Amino acid sequence: MRINNMTFKAGGEAGAGIATIGSMFCKLAQRSGLWAFAENDYPSLIRGGHNTFTARVSDEKIWALHGKIDLLVALNARAVMEHADEMSQRGVIIYDANKVKKEDISVKRADVRLFDVPLSQFAREAGGEIFLNQAAMGAVVAVLGMQIERLYDLIEKTFATKGDEVVEKNRVAAKMGYEHVKAAKKQEFEIKIEPKRAGKTLLLNSNDAVCIGAVKAGLRLVAEYPMSPSSSVLHWMAEHAVRQEIVVKHTEDEIAAINYILGAGFAGVRAMTATSGGGFSLMCEALGNGGIAEIPCVILNVQRAGPSTGLPTYTEQADLRFALHASQGEFPRIVCMPGDAQEAFAETFNVFNMAELAQTPAIILLDKYIGESMQIVERFKETGMKVKRGKLQTDEQMENADKFLRHQITKNGISPRCIPGQKNGIYVCSSYEHDETGYTSEDAQNRIAQIDKRAKKLNAINPNTYQPAFFGNSKSTFLLVSWGSTKGVVLEAMKELQKENINIRFMHIKYASPFAADTIKQALQAASKTLICEGNSEGQMRGLIREKTGVLIENAYLKYDGRPFTVEGMVEKIKSLMQKGEEK
Amino acid sequence: MVSVKDYAQDSHTITWCPGCGDFSILASLKKALVDAKLEPHNVVIASGIGCSGKLPHFIRAYGFESLHGRAVAAASGIKLANHELNVIAVGGDGDGYGIGTNHFVHACRRNYDMAYVVHNNQIYGLTTGQTSPTSEQGFKTKSTPEGVLEVPVNPIALAITMGATYVARGFSGDLVHLAKLIQGGIEHKGFALIDVMQPCVVWNRVNTFEYFRKKTYKLEDEGYEPFDKLKAYERAWEWKERIPLGVFYKADAPTYENGLPQLQSGPLVKKPIENIDIENLLSKYE
Repeated sequence: MRINNMTFKAGGEAGAGIATIGSMFCKLAQRSGLWAFAENDYPSLIRGGHNTFTARVSDEKIWALHGKIDLLVALNARAVMEHADEMSQRGVIIYDANKVKKEDISVKRADVRLFDVPLSQFAREAGGEIFLNQAAMGAVVAVLGMQIERLYDLIEKTFATKGDEVVEKNRVAAKMGYEHVKAAKKQEFEIKIEPKRAGKTLLLNSNDAVCIGAVKAGLRLVAEYPMSPSSSVLHWMAEHAVRQEIVVKHTEDEIAAINYILGAGFAGVRAMTATSGGGFSLMCEALGNGGIAEIPCVILNVQRAGPSTGLPTYTEQADLRFALHASQGEFPRIVCMPGDAQEAFAETFNVFNMAELAQTPAIILLDKYIGESMQIVERFKETGMKVKRGKLQTDEQMENADKFLRHQITKNGISPRCIPGQKNGIYVCSSYEHDETGYTSEDAQNRIAQIDKRAKKLNAINPNTYQPAFFGNSKSTFLLVSWGSTKGVVLEAMKELQKENINIRFMHIKYASPFAADTIKQALQAASKTLICEGNSEGQMRGLIREKTGVLIENAYLKYDGRPFTVEGMVEKIKSLMQKGEEK
Repeated sequence: MVSVKDYAQDSHTITWCPGCGDFSILASLKKALVDAKLEPHNVVIASGIGCSGKLPHFIRAYGFESLHGRAVAAASGIKLANHELNVIAVGGDGDGYGIGTNHFVHACRRNYDMAYVVHNNQIYGLTTGQTSPTSEQGFKTKSTPEGVLEVPVNPIALAITMGATYVARGFSGDLVHLAKLIQGGIEHKGFALIDVMQPCVVWNRVNTFEYFRKKTYKLEDEGYEPFDKLKAYERAWEWKERIPLGVFYKADAPTYENGLPQLQSGPLVKKPIENIDIENLLSKYE
């Protein structure tokens, strides 16, 4: 008997409600005091195609999928056929007996058990196809030996706002699915979910976490044009706009979006846009405007597989160099790469402060993988989170200002900043090179002075705020380096290696700019074997580290098939490298 | 009392060509701001790139000199961030009706409360004389040596159809009339386009001051009333023989800012951002 540790999958056509089943399952796990990580996989279309949702639950914290599928809900024959090989020993497939004919499916493995449940029929009896999800959930709850009341509670909470009738129909569908499995008296499943007490947790993806971090940071204006996989940010913001007093504008294009937030940043409001690589490409020119005109703003790029349209609904970490160098000329920018929902929340807050302190644009890089993958994390802590607005002048300060220089040359490069509406601060915020007043200047000496002034600004940011995070055995001479979303898979792989008494050290880089070169160099020099893992084909962070520290990471494990790293692949890579050392 | 002196930016040399129509647009704008009794620190002038884009440097008010074509987009962000500011976008015909058309037409639809003053000289001046979206068919330029093949953009007709609620044409050769049109646009609640025929004395030898002096007439002199959309649209197509100046169309309609409940208690910039409560946001995920 395996308790509270399993992998669940739902598969079917796009539009069939796979994501709903998946998120209901995760919510149930959360309410049972468990931890979860869930991935979705879908092609770029609205109806048809093949969608899956895979969730792993555990009674200890988890950061990635790992292991075979124990329970599969298959809404069509393709889902059965495609995933039968991924099943664990004696795994269970629940399939819709109304949609899948027995003769259409052949599962070679004798150990895999097939449960036929007339899901569509139950749904219709309950009130319509839309209730199929709950019929499936009822069956799942029965297989896992859970009390159906737990699902009823969840249904009530989820659909309460839609009225008693909707709640009741969902409940009826769930009940039919549940009772069918119970009555069939199938052989007992060896995996059970046994609810336990746990601390407060959150179930969310990193896109959501960025949104909450941004609200906490005082975000007031969002301008965005939809683009997968960033669109959920626009939806989230629009939903919360009125209550949180945020203006959310779906603009005519991405160029408008970034120019709106530049205007807002100039006017003294914390503003953000979200997009993916294609939209970010369109924003490049204006990004430089933010740089030269010293306007704080935040751009979220939820990376997908490029170049161009690429693989729109798949993941990649190939925009690192692009984010660092986008737009012509030279100017400082902040580039942050959170590794999970917890970090996405905390670092987004941090990044808004940094952007305003350094008066320059900040870019947050997520990717499709963590942007859309739900995970259960500890409830966010807000202690110590303080909004810092740098040298933004108050109205009182400006009342007494005399000959105010918006781009004044100062020791650390940061000039006092006023906003329109304030007396005595009148200036032109310009995309041209300018003198200290803001007036266009093509003078050579002034040019050098302004470039140097802007370049200095990142040094004013406290280095403690952009250090890499270290995990594992600090004495190990094997150092694994990664950034962004790869963090979770590495942490999970380290757990597996620990079972074999292999304890490596892991450095997770959260900021590419400003760059903690000294810390990173020291860590690399202290190791005798180094490995970098990143989701691109060129080893972009590997190159950046070499450029900034002079150290070449000897081994690289690169993945660029549009899919995230797997724990199995990571474990294998680390072990093979270790063996190579022993042979020497 | 605000006077023209308050808007004087004496420390900066004006870099427009001698005789350029931009000078009188600048003078008209200053007069309009004074007549509208606005204080310089509450005024933001957003521009794009081109000869017109330099205007914010020559007037003492807050300025935002953005990128080519992006004046209206930047101005929209400024307005949403602080709708108590008086926001005026300025641009050229290439800037607003070519590379920036997208922002222009959508700003019309949204009816943001701002004025947009376009220096329309039917030519690209700062890039040394190429065709513009408003160049007439057959017009020969460096980029169209055989003459322009396409029909010109009609900014007046475009603004009317896209939902702008104040649509006017001025002429830089008539400063007093132009100042009135700009003042009307600034005081109008909603999106106001003031398209200004502004001869380029270097690159456009066809559409000169003389050309416009001969052809233009004032709509108000003929008893025209700007409240009928279809009539306005009809007038917008008058060009070859006689060119109308004045307000083509004016309507009362809710502004975009009015439609946002978030803005009714005051501008975004005045909302405190310290210690924001996120409990209700987090509990949704519990």
